[in-house]
Amino acid sequence: MNRLHSWRVAAVSAVAAVALSGAANAFEPEATECIAPANPGGGWDFTCRQVGKTLQDLGLIPGTMQVTNLAGGGGGVAYAEVVNKRGDDNDLIVAASSATATRLAQGAYPGNTMDQVRWLGAVGADYGVIAVSKDSPINTLSELMEQIKADPRSISVAGGSAVGGWDHLKVLLAAQAAGIDDVRNVKYVAFNGGGEAVTQLLAGSVQAFTGDASEAKGFVDSGDIKVVAVLAPERLEGDFSAFPTAREQGIDVIGANWRGFYAPGGMSDEAYDYWVEAIGNVYASDEWKDIMARNGLAPLDLQGAEFEAFVRESVDRITGLSRDIGLLQ
Amino acid sequence: MSDRVLGGCGLLLAFFYIWQATQIRVSFISDPLGPKSFPIIIGAMLGLASLYMILRPDPEPVWPRFARLFEIAVAVAVLAAYAMLLPELGFVISTALAAAFLSWRLGAGPIAAPVAGIGISLGIYAVFHLILGLSLARGPLGL
Amino acid sequence: METLSNLADGFVIALTLQNLFLALLGCFLGTVIGALPGLGPSNGVAILIPLAFTLGLPATPALILLTSVYYGAMYGGRISSILLNIPGDEPAMMTTLDGYPMAQQGRAGEALALSGVASFVGAFFATWGLVFLAPQLVKVALLFGPAEYFALFSLAFATLGGIASRNQAKAAMAAALGLGIAMIGVDGQTGVPRFAFGNVHFYDGIDFLVAIVGLFAVSEVFVFLEHRGEARGAGQEDKMKLGRVTPSLATLAGTGWTMARSTVLGFLSGVLPGAGASLGSFISYSVEKRLVDREGTFGTGDPRGVAAPEAGNNAAAGGALVPMLALGVPGSGTTAVLLAMLLALNITPGPLLFQSNPDVVWGLVAALFIGNLMLLLLNIPMVSLFVRVLLVPPKYLMPIVAMISFVGIYGISGSTFDLLVMIVFGVIGWVLRKLEVPLVPIILGVLLGNEMESNLRRALTISDGDWSILVGSPLAIILWALAITGFVLPMLFGRFFRMRMRHERAGEEGADPD
Repeated sequence: MNRLHSWRVAAVSAVAAVALSGAANAFEPEATECIAPANPGGGWDFTCRQVGKTLQDLGLIPGTMQVTNLAGGGGGVAYAEVVNKRGDDNDLIVAASSATATRLAQGAYPGNTMDQVRWLGAVGADYGVIAVSKDSPINTLSELMEQIKADPRSISVAGGSAVGGWDHLKVLLAAQAAGIDDVRNVKYVAFNGGGEAVTQLLAGSVQAFTGDASEAKGFVDSGDIKVVAVLAPERLEGDFSAFPTAREQGIDVIGANWRGFYAPGGMSDEAYDYWVEAIGNVYASDEWKDIMARNGLAPLDLQGAEFEAFVRESVDRITGLSRDIGLLQ
Repeated sequence: MSDRVLGGCGLLLAFFYIWQATQIRVSFISDPLGPKSFPIIIGAMLGLASLYMILRPDPEPVWPRFARLFEIAVAVAVLAAYAMLLPELGFVISTALAAAFLSWRLGAGPIAAPVAGIGISLGIYAVFHLILGLSLARGPLGL
Repeated sequence: METLSNLADGFVIALTLQNLFLALLGCFLGTVIGALPGLGPSNGVAILIPLAFTLGLPATPALILLTSVYYGAMYGGRISSILLNIPGDEPAMMTTLDGYPMAQQGRAGEALALSGVASFVGAFFATWGLVFLAPQLVKVALLFGPAEYFALFSLAFATLGGIASRNQAKAAMAAALGLGIAMIGVDGQTGVPRFAFGNVHFYDGIDFLVAIVGLFAVSEVFVFLEHRGEARGAGQEDKMKLGRVTPSLATLAGTGWTMARSTVLGFLSGVLPGAGASLGSFISYSVEKRLVDREGTFGTGDPRGVAAPEAGNNAAAGGALVPMLALGVPGSGTTAVLLAMLLALNITPGPLLFQSNPDVVWGLVAALFIGNLMLLLLNIPMVSLFVRVLLVPPKYLMPIVAMISFVGIYGISGSTFDLLVMIVFGVIGWVLRKLEVPLVPIILGVLLGNEMESNLRRALTISDGDWSILVGSPLAIILWALAITGFVLPMLFGRFFRMRMRHERAGEEGADPD
């Protein structure tokens, strides 16, 4: 279900030629490999291939980085493989995203927890948006939430992920922050990807849309939809700068769909430091910032221990919310 | 008779399917129809079609002799073994073995079969890995 | 007029030596990828994206390469359908029904050439549709809400009865099996796993490629093992006739209207996100059978049964580009990959794409015309080469087919589990073929089952459980009426009439002809 949904950010995070500073590490990578836990063409696949290519172009790794597709279980098959069979591989990195954290939090990778791997760093984030159609009487997130509070049946919210997935959780987090006690009343309709969900908003089948900024961009530019809130800490740059954040409207919620990497739990500290620095340098380049600005992507500058803490916090938060709505017992 | 057996299997499957559908755990969030209804309808459809086959079977097909059935069973086993050994032995070796076996069972001689197996394996490796760039299973030889 | 001048500009962009070479390369690779079981258009495009990046191509040439692969794969799928009875990709499934019987009758070359022409016709007019009708068609796509999609999929299943005319119960059983398989995995509307037995491998559901390759390709290997050494009536003897390699003018003329109707139907299915090329080829075939199959020759090697699905699926491939470019909504796996590619090249598809990036859009459209013509020129002369596949003795050909199937699935998913599931499908496919249970409804069920259920449930969620939403729009009512009057009623009454005719004839001739 989420395959169609999650490639957008990855596609964007994929293209950059980056000048890495010459890293002087004790660790020398050999036959490097990146596992994309999905079929070719998906978001994780793009993340792997482009970061791999960048590393190769800069001569930071010997030869090409082998990209292995290991699909199944929404990333769970790859996660289990890394934990059980490749636990001490120093040359392996694996593409991950908010979807990985969400599924870990909801126990959708049976028997696996986030502590079984080492989290390397993020390469960017796509902040959530909540939008209505251009003809809607609703103009702000507060108005939307008031309407849901008054009559939850009157607003169907469309999103590109399954129930319990990231697009759904974003709107529930917003509802929770807006003081709606029983968020289960929020009517959510799951579609196969943000594009389909936006189309149904235009078609008038649903009243609101929850998704990522990059998914909404084409329709924001054309004026077909009205963004009522951006779920970012501060206003985004570029085309989205005209839209207020949820925080500005007194609803304290942030929803970032990040992209990054994890590595096997038994990776040596030298190798871990090497990969953290490499990914940090990919992220820091000017070309990368340029791409993010053009695509409604926002910075998320987290590597190493900071990134691990960030993932832990989001896993905890999603676990709590999933308990509240009964997805987790 | 065969149709009746198939119908019987279909009926059992339908019961099992419907029973499994009723066992689906429903979380607190649910849409009006829920996750169970559609599978139950499908199970019912399967059951009805199976019932019809039991009552009005078609003429009997020609089943192969036991030796041939055994042959197919062995082929299934070999293919399953191939699937499991692929990550262990690597692509080129395991594919050569499996292709040689199939070729032999389909009538190639004791020399032609291994040659065909190796040829097929290397040919596919060239097209899929070297040209299309798919990552195939890497074995002890790096192939 | 402005459109035409834009298109002329597009041709200026596309007609450079480099772009022509890329189109040729893409067409060739696409045809090969399409013909290989287990690799379809979406995987084909996906695995060639790294090539586009490695070559450092800018947006327009990269798109030209990848859309050529896309169109090429739609052409290529028919080759293995006709020659081996194994669909090279899912939209080519319907081509097996008449294409393979034609090959068995020694008309493989004719079938390949005719389907090549049909593919060209479908893609050619679909590309014109893309040029002139994209903005209007977007409005059509917006008419389809969940209730309308549910009606559309119901219509697709209603047409099944017309296809499997021999034993409706077996077709129904096959469809139920396919739908049942589609239910496996995490349910999008509630987030709970269904029929997964706690096994994480089942959470994503069963990939239709695994099902299709298992049911058709792996089972074919078993069929050959079963009949080894026998002179098979299946047309696989050593002295297989290849037949003529060009279709006669009479055949072309006889399939003209079929191609025209199928192009329209296929194109419309392509335009609807969530329907796509498989539905296009399926609907084209079943409608054509309903309309022109008076002698009951469909399924026994009727050229019209080859032309219809091929025109349909290639037209759908062009149609699927409409919502991708104009809405940013991928109507199929392949357009999803192309869309990802566009985003990676910093082009945002959407309502403004035609204004903001006219060079990309019109360069792409021109490339589609060029690629399509190249594919026709490439495919017709190569027919005589393709049919030589049939001269390879089965003892070498079938291991090749089997191993390519395995590697296609493994190379994409890297999953041993998928391979084992595929073998299980192979065994099931072999048994069902023995008992003359049609395989097409299974694949149709696997392909459409999820969408059918999801849209029903989406509609009911939106209406808070009020079933009247299913007939809540004129479009939905039209679709239901079509399904009932076009397919369900004829099925019921058809049996009634056949029985009466049989009685009358039995009375006149004193013998039961059945």
